[in-house]
Amino acid sequence: MRKILISTAVAGGVLAAATAQAADKVTIQLKWVADAQFAGYFVAKDKGFYKEANLDVTIKPGGPDVAPEQVIAAGGADVVVDWLPAALAAREKGVPLVNISQTFQRSGLELTCLKSSGIKSPKDFPGHTLGVWFAGNEYPFLSWMAKLNIPTDGGPKGVKVLKQGFNVDPLLQHQADCISTMTYNEYWQIIEAGVKPEDLIVFKYSDEGVATLEDSLYAIGDKLKDAAFSAKLARFVAASDRGWEYAIQHPDEAVKIVLDNDTTGAQTEVHQKHMMAEVAKLITDSKNPLGYLNPADFDRTVSILLSSKSTPVITKKPEGAWTHAVYEESKKTWTPPAAK
Amino acid sequence: MRHDRVLATAALTAIAALALPLGDTGSWQDHPPELALWSAMIAIALFSFFRPAAMAMMAGLCLVGALAGAVALYLLLQDGARGDAAIGLWIGLIGLAALVWRALERGAALGAETRSTPVNLAVPAAFGIWLLYLWQMLTIGFGVPSVLLPPPTQIATSLAASAHVLGEDFVQTFVKSMIPGYVIGCGAGFLVGVLIDRVPFLQRGLLPVGNLVSALPIVGIAPIMVMWFGFDWQSKAAVVVVMTFFPMLVNTIAGLGALSRMEGDLMRTYAASYGQTLRLARLPAALPFIFNALKLNSTLALIGAIVAEFFGTPIVGLGFRISTSVGRMDIALVWATITVAALTGSAAYGAIALLERSLTFWHPSFRRV
Repeated sequence: MRKILISTAVAGGVLAAATAQAADKVTIQLKWVADAQFAGYFVAKDKGFYKEANLDVTIKPGGPDVAPEQVIAAGGADVVVDWLPAALAAREKGVPLVNISQTFQRSGLELTCLKSSGIKSPKDFPGHTLGVWFAGNEYPFLSWMAKLNIPTDGGPKGVKVLKQGFNVDPLLQHQADCISTMTYNEYWQIIEAGVKPEDLIVFKYSDEGVATLEDSLYAIGDKLKDAAFSAKLARFVAASDRGWEYAIQHPDEAVKIVLDNDTTGAQTEVHQKHMMAEVAKLITDSKNPLGYLNPADFDRTVSILLSSKSTPVITKKPEGAWTHAVYEESKKTWTPPAAK
Repeated sequence: MRHDRVLATAALTAIAALALPLGDTGSWQDHPPELALWSAMIAIALFSFFRPAAMAMMAGLCLVGALAGAVALYLLLQDGARGDAAIGLWIGLIGLAALVWRALERGAALGAETRSTPVNLAVPAAFGIWLLYLWQMLTIGFGVPSVLLPPPTQIATSLAASAHVLGEDFVQTFVKSMIPGYVIGCGAGFLVGVLIDRVPFLQRGLLPVGNLVSALPIVGIAPIMVMWFGFDWQSKAAVVVVMTFFPMLVNTIAGLGALSRMEGDLMRTYAASYGQTLRLARLPAALPFIFNALKLNSTLALIGAIVAEFFGTPIVGLGFRISTSVGRMDIALVWATITVAALTGSAAYGAIALLERSLTFWHPSFRRV
């Protein structure tokens, strides 16, 4: 009897010690499926950067019907990757999302048109059919059309808008003259489907002055008030940035890691290599250090969203929607090498 | 004295609620009007327990008591009773639920006894209103975020504000997508059913194919239909055709075999041709089965039209509205769209049921026992 008691006490002690040293759990919800758009997180996990930061990270891939704002509102994640317009809209609807780090400094959103449709510049849009993603991705398009004064309800002076699925079929099937694409994803799907770049004309939202901030990290504001949670996220941001830096320096290895993490088996190496190269451009083509949210960029996105009068994305200027605190604390754990 | 446990529960929990706190808004004594209404409800519950009356009287009395209690609790909620602290409110809600139960049960018994249509319509309506009331109390009382579940008042506001938009969506989905698809699908199913009856050899070949086609999941065929027929209503109608074809086919075949031997022999003694027998005897006998399929298909058609719109649509339609409003976190508009879809589906089903009633009045299922 005594032996049993002693061995149980020892086992209990060992367990307690083990749990005391267990890593902090973090769950991140991605905005889309597991591909090179999120290479930094997969690289950080596979290369052990999260483990070194004493973090046990679960990466949840998204998909066509996963809204990261809903997942975090329901408590399914600690931090999400989302686009700023959708996060601000959710903030107004009562989900207190706060930007803790800006990953993509440039926008990759563009409208790709067939040259055969006769469109040479945005002034030629009226009378044509344009494919637009919805589910939170339509805000930059609506702002752009409002800026050009083109109605979107399909009259003779307006454009006919189709709710595009997350594929490029409307362009390939000639059901739309132009479709929404990302520089790193759908554009290459069109090329890989056999269309030649010379047959396409591309309008980048950043060139048109209607680009908004895209992939960034968000957490619930009330939870950030807890110092332990905020510190945990700071270590997470540091390790993730370290993963991004590694992915940008070693793109082929990053692509391999991403493909290993793709449980659907739908991604191809060719496509992921294009994606990694384009995503790297969006992160590095800026004076802002990796992960830093430039308040001027934030304000520019807000003014674009406020300017679309017909379909208001947000109705008032957001307060307290971003913080540098987590980023500043993350720099104590790891700093990106000096910008070139 | 009869032991009406439900009424006893109602009275006892209502009295217990009086002793419990109401969270931030103090206690019952701070709210005289609510206290008065609540006491009225307790009085009615006790009176009904000790002096059970006839059905109509009991139903009416319990209803009045329940209304008083419901108003009292709602006013307390408006005054700020929230969350776990307002335990008096929640215990009171349980007591109110018991009283509502007794009121509805007596009302249903009254409706069955007297077969009065107003009563038989009022009792389910009252139950629906009670569910909406519970929904409102629980979402506001426990501070449920509106992006997860908005309260009914917010949904009603959204419905009123977006009535114009939802009207256009209704036209796109119901009038332009669902009706053509429904007519073509049911019509094709019926014609193929008659064809199979005429040429029995076809049954072996066509029935399994029809079975396979109906088993295809909508989320699989919808994108393919969009690719074949384009983004507009034609692809949605095509999805509806695929979904409604097989149930109609199977029911038509079953219906055409429903004519009893005696009547079939009688037609033969009259030297009736195939066409005459079909028109005068077999189709009328098949009507109950055909209406069965029509009612089933009305539900399937609406589901098909809405789900097909998730996969590519010009920017109008009930399915489009649901999927984009979810993306914009405008959950109240999602529920408003769901309300429109539910009302449409119920109205369509009801219309077909009425038509069935007038054409197949002779069927035993319509006899009142």
